[in-house]
Amino acid sequence: MINSNSNALGIVFPNTYDAMIPSLTNVRLMASIPFASRYRMVDFILSSMSSCGIDNIAVMVNRNYHSLTDHLGSGREWDLVRKNGGLHIFPPYANNTAGSKPYTGRVSAIAGILDWLRRQKEQYVVISDANIAATFNFNKLLEAHQATGADVTIVYKKQEIPGEVLANMDHSKGFYYTLTQENGRVKNIYVNPKTEGVQNFSMNCYCISRQLLIDEINTAFVRGQEYFERDILLPQLGRLNVQAYEFQGYAARIMGLKSYYDESMKLLKDENLDALFANGPVYTKIRDDNPTRYIEGAIAKNVMVADGCVIEGDIEDSILFRGVVVEKGAKVKNCVLMQDTIVKAGADIEYVISDKDVTFTPYKEVKGTDSFPVYVAKGQTV
Amino acid sequence: MAKEMIAMLLAGGQGSRLYALTQKLAKPAVPFGGKYRIIDFPLSNCVNSGIDTVGILTQYQPLVLNEYIGNGQPWDLDRLYGGVHVLPPYQKANGSDWYKGTANAIYQNISFIERYDPKYVIILSGDQICKQDYSDFLRFHKEKDAEFSVAVMEVPWEEASRFGLMVAGPDDRITEFQEKPKNPKSNLASMGIYIFNWDILKKYLTEDEADPNSENDFGNNIIPNLLRDNRRMYAYHFNGYWKDVGTISSLWEANMEVLDPEHSGIDLFDEGWKVYSRNSGMTGHKITGNGKVENAMITDGCRISGHVKHSILFAGVTVEDGAEIEDAVVMGGSVIKAGAKVKHCIIAENVTIGENAVVGAMPVGDEKGVATIGSGICIGAGAKIGPKAMINNNVEAGEEHD
Repeated sequence: MINSNSNALGIVFPNTYDAMIPSLTNVRLMASIPFASRYRMVDFILSSMSSCGIDNIAVMVNRNYHSLTDHLGSGREWDLVRKNGGLHIFPPYANNTAGSKPYTGRVSAIAGILDWLRRQKEQYVVISDANIAATFNFNKLLEAHQATGADVTIVYKKQEIPGEVLANMDHSKGFYYTLTQENGRVKNIYVNPKTEGVQNFSMNCYCISRQLLIDEINTAFVRGQEYFERDILLPQLGRLNVQAYEFQGYAARIMGLKSYYDESMKLLKDENLDALFANGPVYTKIRDDNPTRYIEGAIAKNVMVADGCVIEGDIEDSILFRGVVVEKGAKVKNCVLMQDTIVKAGADIEYVISDKDVTFTPYKEVKGTDSFPVYVAKGQTV
Repeated sequence: MAKEMIAMLLAGGQGSRLYALTQKLAKPAVPFGGKYRIIDFPLSNCVNSGIDTVGILTQYQPLVLNEYIGNGQPWDLDRLYGGVHVLPPYQKANGSDWYKGTANAIYQNISFIERYDPKYVIILSGDQICKQDYSDFLRFHKEKDAEFSVAVMEVPWEEASRFGLMVAGPDDRITEFQEKPKNPKSNLASMGIYIFNWDILKKYLTEDEADPNSENDFGNNIIPNLLRDNRRMYAYHFNGYWKDVGTISSLWEANMEVLDPEHSGIDLFDEGWKVYSRNSGMTGHKITGNGKVENAMITDGCRISGHVKHSILFAGVTVEDGAEIEDAVVMGGSVIKAGAKVKHCIIAENVTIGENAVVGAMPVGDEKGVATIGSGICIGAGAKIGPKAMINNNVEAGEEHD
């Protein structure tokens, strides 16, 4: 289309893998987990879509979504307030056919918005989760999808499956997928494989024509099937032309508290941070904080700090979100401190992930380890 | 539906004393305090005071300002009825004119004001750093049953002759106005912020326009005429932080005061009176293992490997290894290359300071100045810029400027 509009709409699943990171999703969902000092996970997928002209986006919230609706508002920050299209938040829809309970898989979720889908005009649909922070050029994906004549294109990344996924993930917590391919065509899809080493790890991001999606979901829903990959793609790899598309950019995939911590810390390396933002800006809700103030006596080494902080203590190898206060004589090392965390005078914390509004009392010592960082829940005083 | 009070913000000034900083933008658009522009202060004051309709009168280099204001959303001024409107001079059926003076700028926009049928109009200026509750000012105006009120600051008597002064009785009623007098009769300096009853303002603007000898200026014409007619004029005492940032040294000073909110009184951390601005959208700033930051304000997007001391860095500033920054204001997107020394100066937006270049110097006795580098300028490697320099052209490597 002329200018920026893409011929695709987006469907985002913000709750996927919530169960893998229960501490952070106790009061929120995957999509609203704070990441990279001033963002929420959902900012990356929404900004990528918006930058690529995908400006008609359905967000299929399921549980714990108050934090997300608060964050997204009207969608203005992502340029998603549009007369045609824009941001649509679809909570679980209670009616006679879809039932009134939260959806379990993508089939019932999308079945609940079939009427809406039928009324849209975009030819393609891009489906994604919100647990991967990346800046993604969806136009390249759409071009590849059209060039290969695919029915469905699956985006994957060559990487190892995180240890915590291999150790902890089972069917009760959800599904992850790897795939094999031949000349770009997907030969097989593996559900929750336990194989180690670098493999084609699906990013659960798909491109499909809107009409085909409607047809497939309709059929699957009538049959009582639940999962897009397991029940629609996997049994039909012979019938449908399913293509694989490798994402070669930087991706921070959050699959648990350990990968959250590791992916956060990786951003302290400039090359990783630059790579994360390589494909365009990432927008987020504005807080109108003042710049961060370093008071006489503050020491800061190898840190990433958002606006609105006041630092008078000693911070090292850490990530500080907006509005964090580190008082005089306090020591913060190898930590991720979320919004408005207060570290009082003389407190000494190491390998800690603090959620929003946490307070560490004066001279308190809290220490985790690299392999097992301590998590402090939202609003707690330690 | 009538509005009780709307604001008219005078933002047309060139700010010629800020020379290198205002070559490409109007004074109200000059960056301030790490992430703001000067105009953020009056606009945020309006919103925080409950004023939802603001006309911004622009004339000189309005491009940056227009883009910055946009639809007014960052200040919550994107409203269905009211909101922020940028008002440049325009062509009318019977001819067209630049804004000839502050009063004429308002006169040319009488029809804009009348759309809102306001009872009061507050006139603001776009070149002051000040957090002020205009609703308290209006309460005073109504209490005094005034037709005109002006916000005043008490200044030291020895400095009074630099200001426009209001002579007022114990009931705050103004009896005389002295513009920069040799022998001041008062130490109440006008802040250039006025509340008028709209009917009075309209009458005096119209009269003033008909006078061919008038300079069409509030201070020189409108206020003397109000006094002549013995109008009910009152002085409203303001005693918070207020700074006119019309000169390089006052702009530098006001920025430095931001670093010391406990003593200077300009507190940007006040949750109850936020200053809004258009956001850079950059990620958090980074300080590497080599970086050192002492007593400074750092904004999103900065990358610091050098040594930053008692300075303000705006969004997206890069300070490379071994660079030293002290008592400096470094505006958005500028790059300070390895080994450069940047002291006691103002670096505008998107400037590159080459490797090992030296810009400005810490004061030695009376020998001091605020070196200023205009936006987009490149200072070559090893160049030397003296403390009194005002640089508005690229400087080649190794060159020296006093």
